[in-house]
Amino acid sequence: MREQHLSDEAIAAFADDVLPKHVRERARRHTAACPECNYAVAVQREAVWALRAAPAPSLPIGLLDRLREVPATTPIRHVPATVDEHGNAMFATFSAPAAAFVPQAAQRSRGRLTRPVAMTAASLAVVGVLAGAAVMSDSHHASPPSHIQPASVWLPVGHR
Amino acid sequence: MREHADRVYRLAYRLSGNRADAEDLTQETFVRVFKSLAEYTPGTFEGWLHRITTNLFLDMVRRRQRIRFDALPEDAGDRLASRESGPEQTYEQMNLDPEIQAALDALPADFRVAVVLCDLEQLSYEEIGATLGIKVGTVRSRIHRGRVLLRQALAHRAPGLRPVEPGQQAIEAVG
Repeated sequence: MREQHLSDEAIAAFADDVLPKHVRERARRHTAACPECNYAVAVQREAVWALRAAPAPSLPIGLLDRLREVPATTPIRHVPATVDEHGNAMFATFSAPAAAFVPQAAQRSRGRLTRPVAMTAASLAVVGVLAGAAVMSDSHHASPPSHIQPASVWLPVGHR
Repeated sequence: MREHADRVYRLAYRLSGNRADAEDLTQETFVRVFKSLAEYTPGTFEGWLHRITTNLFLDMVRRRQRIRFDALPEDAGDRLASRESGPEQTYEQMNLDPEIQAALDALPADFRVAVVLCDLEQLSYEEIGATLGIKVGTVRSRIHRGRVLLRQALAHRAPGLRPVEPGQQAIEAVG
């Protein structure tokens, strides 16, 4: 009698090459000798290839601008703030077209924002960059000072 | 910002299958992100975005299933229909593979989410389990079933798909 077929879960994991080494080797030997399991693995891979070959939908024109307005149009009860892995306090800010989580240092260089940010920062420890992937600033739009909106719009708690 | 918006929109589109819902889901994801930054755990920002978008999508699916059982207001059909068509359709069809998207759309929502997160977003089984709050075994079986259905839906494209020879190198590891 032939060796037992691979389970559905094992078929998917084998197709994705994520089985532990010894299990993978057993699965490889089995599929090499078993047309049914070999076919099932091929079906999994072909589905993945078909999906990945399809072009990704592109961001519609205008949506990015609407997303940048989210902080201005979203009522909030508290200043959205959090603490990064180094224990630095971080908070959300945005500029007119750029909804961005901007570090305090970046804001300080833009004179107009210094005061409201500093007031909020006083109640937080150190304001740092929203680390790594979490930085939502857009280098194209976050830099020009003309894009910065007064922080009091979105920092009612810290603003006296 | 742009990069996150692209990611969220791509996921939202793959899940919902149309531009209007994808835009709504993307916008709502950013609203949630902004409102609940305090709940964000450092180091998991992309996972957090995935979780928010995916859960918003599943909420939307459940809401619509309920609506189907309730009496629909008279204009609901028109409103729903109007979201499916429009000038953007032509643009989308130039940018997407309508057959692939239709095959995705035909999958049950739970399978579609698992397949999209695994094969397009390239999350590991463990990350998908954490995103959906399900066991890894369930993730694997949903992915398996989803791909089988997807392959069946694309059966007529068989010659166009890459053939698999025995012993061929496995595809890039996921996770």
